[in-house]
Amino acid sequence: MDSSHTTPAFDIRGLSKVYRTEAGEVHALRGVDLQIAKGETLVLLGPSGSGKSTLLNILGGLDRASSGSARFHDLELTTASDRELTRYRRASVGFIFQFFNLVPSLTARENVALITEISRDPMPPEEALARVGLAERLDHFPAQLSGGEQQRVAVARAIAKRPELLFCDEPTGSLDSESGVRVLEAIAEVTAAVGATTMIVSHNTSIGAMADRVIRFRDGQITEVADNPRKTAPREMAW
Amino acid sequence: MRLAPLDRKVLRDLWRMKWQVMAIALLIACGVSVAVMSFSAQRALATAQAAFYEETRFADAFAQAKHAPLSLARDLAAIEGVSALDVRIAEVGLMDVPGLARPATARLIALPQDERAALNGIVLVEGRLPDPARTDEAVALKTFMTAAHLHLGQKLSAVIGGRTFDFKIVGAALSPEYVYVPAPESFMPDDAHQGVLWAPRPAVERVAGMSGAFNTAAFRLAPGVSVAGVLRDVDRLLAPYGGRAAYARADQPSHAFLDAELKELSTSATILPPIFLLIAAALVHLVVTRLVEAEREQIGLLKAFGYSDLEAASPYLKLAGAIGLTGAVAGGLLGGALGAAIVDVYRDYFRFPVLDVTFHWPAFAGASAVAVGAALAGSLMAVRRAAALSPAVAMSPPRPATYRAGLMDRLVRGAGVDQATRMVVRHLERFPMRGALAALGLASSLSLLVGTQFLFDSIDQVVDQAYFRTQRWTESVGLAEARGIAAVIEIGRLPGVTAAEPVRVVAARLKAAGREETTRLVGLDSDARLQQPLDARDQPIAFKGDGLVVSEALAGRLGLQAGDRVWVEVLDGRRPSALMTINALARDYTGFAAYLDRRALNRLMGEGDLANRAELLVASDARPAFYRAVEARPGIVGASSRDETVAAWRQAMAEAFRVTLIFYVGFAAAIAFGVAYNVTRISLSERSRDLATLHVLGFGHGECAYILAGELVILALAAVPLGVLGGQALAHGLVAAYSRDELRLPAVITAQSYGLAIAAYLSAVLLGGALVVRRIWGLDLVSVLKTRE
Repeated sequence: MDSSHTTPAFDIRGLSKVYRTEAGEVHALRGVDLQIAKGETLVLLGPSGSGKSTLLNILGGLDRASSGSARFHDLELTTASDRELTRYRRASVGFIFQFFNLVPSLTARENVALITEISRDPMPPEEALARVGLAERLDHFPAQLSGGEQQRVAVARAIAKRPELLFCDEPTGSLDSESGVRVLEAIAEVTAAVGATTMIVSHNTSIGAMADRVIRFRDGQITEVADNPRKTAPREMAW
Repeated sequence: MRLAPLDRKVLRDLWRMKWQVMAIALLIACGVSVAVMSFSAQRALATAQAAFYEETRFADAFAQAKHAPLSLARDLAAIEGVSALDVRIAEVGLMDVPGLARPATARLIALPQDERAALNGIVLVEGRLPDPARTDEAVALKTFMTAAHLHLGQKLSAVIGGRTFDFKIVGAALSPEYVYVPAPESFMPDDAHQGVLWAPRPAVERVAGMSGAFNTAAFRLAPGVSVAGVLRDVDRLLAPYGGRAAYARADQPSHAFLDAELKELSTSATILPPIFLLIAAALVHLVVTRLVEAEREQIGLLKAFGYSDLEAASPYLKLAGAIGLTGAVAGGLLGGALGAAIVDVYRDYFRFPVLDVTFHWPAFAGASAVAVGAALAGSLMAVRRAAALSPAVAMSPPRPATYRAGLMDRLVRGAGVDQATRMVVRHLERFPMRGALAALGLASSLSLLVGTQFLFDSIDQVVDQAYFRTQRWTESVGLAEARGIAAVIEIGRLPGVTAAEPVRVVAARLKAAGREETTRLVGLDSDARLQQPLDARDQPIAFKGDGLVVSEALAGRLGLQAGDRVWVEVLDGRRPSALMTINALARDYTGFAAYLDRRALNRLMGEGDLANRAELLVASDARPAFYRAVEARPGIVGASSRDETVAAWRQAMAEAFRVTLIFYVGFAAAIAFGVAYNVTRISLSERSRDLATLHVLGFGHGECAYILAGELVILALAAVPLGVLGGQALAHGLVAAYSRDELRLPAVITAQSYGLAIAAYLSAVLLGGALVVRRIWGLDLVSVLKTRE
C-alpha cells in the first residue's frame, strides 16, 4: 500500500447481514471488519454465497446491514434513509454490473448523458466514451454493440461523473476473455484518471493481480486479506 | 383430480396478474352487463306491455268526434278490417284538487256497458267499480291519485262543459291508454295535474249533455289490414259529426312514448357492449403478447422438452379464455342486478299491473360467447407467436431490446431533450401498435363521457328554446271550443294577467309528393310576443300573407323546403283544404307544428275571429288567485304553467338520465382505468430492470416514476382530441337514437361539459396509472440487477 492510500474511504465494523427466508435465517455476512483507503483498488474473491456481493450491495447503498457499522465520510450507511442513500449513489458512487444494465432505448452517448445530466461537474459523455475507446460508437444503440462494447459503455457511464467510489459486480462475468481484458483495462485506466476507490467482485482469481489488496470471503466472513505490492496491468494477467 | 402442470401455471399466472386480469374482466363485465341489463329490462317492459294490452284489449286505432249518434257505430263497425269497436263519451274539464295550486285536467270517460266486450279496459288495483245506478262515484287513474296524494273515498268536484260533476273516488285503476300521460303543451308527465276518471255512462251523459251519442271511438283491426285505409274510412264517416283525424296506435301518446323507450334500450344494448369488448380484446392482446415475450425462454424450453406447438401455446389461450369467462360471469351478475334496478325506476314511470324482470339468458349467453371470443381473438396473435418460437431461444443469450432513432430524433436532433424523456418517447415509438390501441381505448372512454354530458346540454338547449324563446308565456289555458276573441280579452282581465294573446290551433294533415303527416296548425297573431317561431339563428320569423312557417323536422319528413307548396287538409270544423306556400322553416325541438297568421287560419276555416287558446303573462304572486278564477270559468279545459312544466320536466329528465349517467360515467371510468392500468403495468414489467438500474445509478423515485408515467400521460393527452371527436360522433348517434317525434335533441356540447368530461377522464387515467407507478417505491434493486433480461 503506498502513501496515497492512507486517507480512509470506508470504515466498516462488525457488519452483519441476515436474510430471513422460509427455510430459516441465512447469515450472508457475519461481522465483517474492514478499512478501505481512498484511491485503493480491492478485488473481492470467493465462491457463490460467500458474502462478497452482499458487502458490495451494502457499501453501494442498495441493501441494508442487519447490524454493525459502515461509514463513508460522515454518512453511516447502515442507518441512512432511502433518500440519503439515493443522494449518496447519485453523488459518490459509480456502478458496473455483470449484465451491463444499459437502457436499450438510449444510444451509447445518451446512456452516459443519463448520468451526467444528474451529476455535479461530470466529464462530457463524449470524453468518457473516448476514454473507453468508443469515440466512434457514440450514436449506437445497445443492441448494435457487442457485449464488451456494452460493458465499456457501462464503464464510461460509471466514471463520467468522476465518482469517489466505483463498484464492479462481476464486470467480466458475461464476457469472453478478450472483451473482459479490454473492460478491465478501461476500468484500470479511468479509475486511475479520476482517482476512484474501486471494489471489484469476481469469481475469477486472476483478476486479483490488478488489485492493491485481495479480500477472500467464505461463509460470510473475510478469510484472508492479501496485499499485492506488484499490481499487474490486465493485459499481462494470467487469464 | 390432479391438474396438469401447465394448467397450474395458468392458474398461478392468473393469480399473479390478478389486478390486470380484474381490470380487463371489468371491461368485459361492463359490456356483458349492459347487454343483459338492457335486454332484461326491454323484455320486462315488452312483456308487461303485451300482457296489459291483451288483458285490457288495447285498441289499434282511435278517433274523436264532437257528437256522433250511436247509430253510426254500426257503420263504423262495418268498415272492412275493423274487428271490434268501442264507442264512448269522454269529456274534458278542470277540477280543483286540494293541495295543488293549479287546477288539474279532468278527463271523464264513460265506463262500458259490457266490460268484457269493451276495448281499452281498465284494471282495478284498489277499491271497487262505481255503482252503475249512481251518478256520484268514479274510478280515478292510479298515477294521478298517487301524484296528487288522493285516497279512496275522497270527494272532488270537476267543472266539465260548464256543468259541475261532484263525485267520490271509489276505486283506483290502470289503463293502457294512460300508462304514460303526457301533459298538454309538453311531452313529459305531469301526473298530479292529469286526472283521468271513469264513471258509469249515465253520469257521463249527464255531464256531457249527450244521450244516444258518443264522441270517442276505438277500433281493433284484423291482422294485415291497411291501417291508413281504415283511418280514411273512419274520418269520412265521422266528418259530418265534427270528427278529428283518426290515428293509429303508433301515434297514441302513451304507446308512442313506451315504444321510444323500448327502442332506446335496444340502442344501449347494441352500441355499448361492442365498445367494451373491443377494448377488452385489445388489452388481452397486449397482456398476452407481453407474457409470451417475457416467457420466450420457458416456451422454448417446453418445446425443447417435446411439447407440441399447440401444447406450448395453450396456456396463453386458456389464460385469455379464463379472463373472458371471469368478465362474462361478473357481467351476468351485474347485468341482472342493474336490470332489476332499472326496472324499478321504470315502475315509477310506466304503470303496468305487473312489471316483473327476469334474467335474459339468451342475452347473457350471446354476450358471454362474444366476450370469450373477443378475449381469445385478442390473444391469438401472441399465441401464434408463441407457437412459432424456436426451441433454440431457450439457449440463446439475452440481447438488449432493439431500438432505433425515431421521429423524435429527426425532429429535435437531440437539442434540449433529456434522456428520461427520450426513453419515454422511444418506448412509445418502439410499440406503435400498443400505443395506438391504448390511445384508442382511452379515447373511447372520453368519447363516452363527452357523448353523455351532451344529453344534459342538449336538454338545457331544448328547454331554453322551447319555453323561453319560442314560447314566452307563463300560463296558457285551453278552451273547449273555438270562441270569439272577446273570450280571450275576458281571460286577460282575470287576476294577475298582464298580457293575453289569442291562439287558434287545429289538427291538419299535410301532404306533399306522396308523403303525409298529421300535425297541428298554430294560428298566431302577426304581432304576437308570447309565441314566435324562430329561425335557425334564433330570430323571430314574421308571417307573410297566408304562407306557412313549418318546423324543420316536419318539413324534413315531408321532403319540403322554404318556397315549396304543400297540400293542407284541416281535420277540424268544416275540414277545408288548400294548397299553401311554405315561407320559412322554424327551428324547434319539440313536437311538430305549422304556424301561420291566425287571421289567415280563420279565413281558411271560413270562420270569424276565433281562438281556442289563450297565452298569458301572469304575475307570479297572483297565480293562486288567477287559478281560482280559471276554475270557476266554464269552457276552459286545461291550464299549463311554464314554470311548473319546466321544473317537472327537469326533474323527470334528471331522474331518467341520472341512471343512464351513472352507467355511462362508471363504464367510461372503467375503460380509462382498465387501459391505463394495463398499459402502465405492461410497461413496468418491461422496464422494471431499467428503472431499478436508474435508481441504483442515483435517480430518485420521482424521476423513475416520470419515465414510467410519461408514456401514459402522452397517450392520455394524445387521446383527448380523438375522444372529443368521438364524443361528438357519439352525441350525433345518440341524437338519432333518442330523438322522437315529440323531442328532437340538438347535438350541443358546452365548454363546461368538455371540461367536466376531460377532468373525469384524466382522473380515472391517473388513478389507473398511479396504482402501478407507486410500485416503483417497492422495486427490489438487488434482485433486479442480478437477473438477466
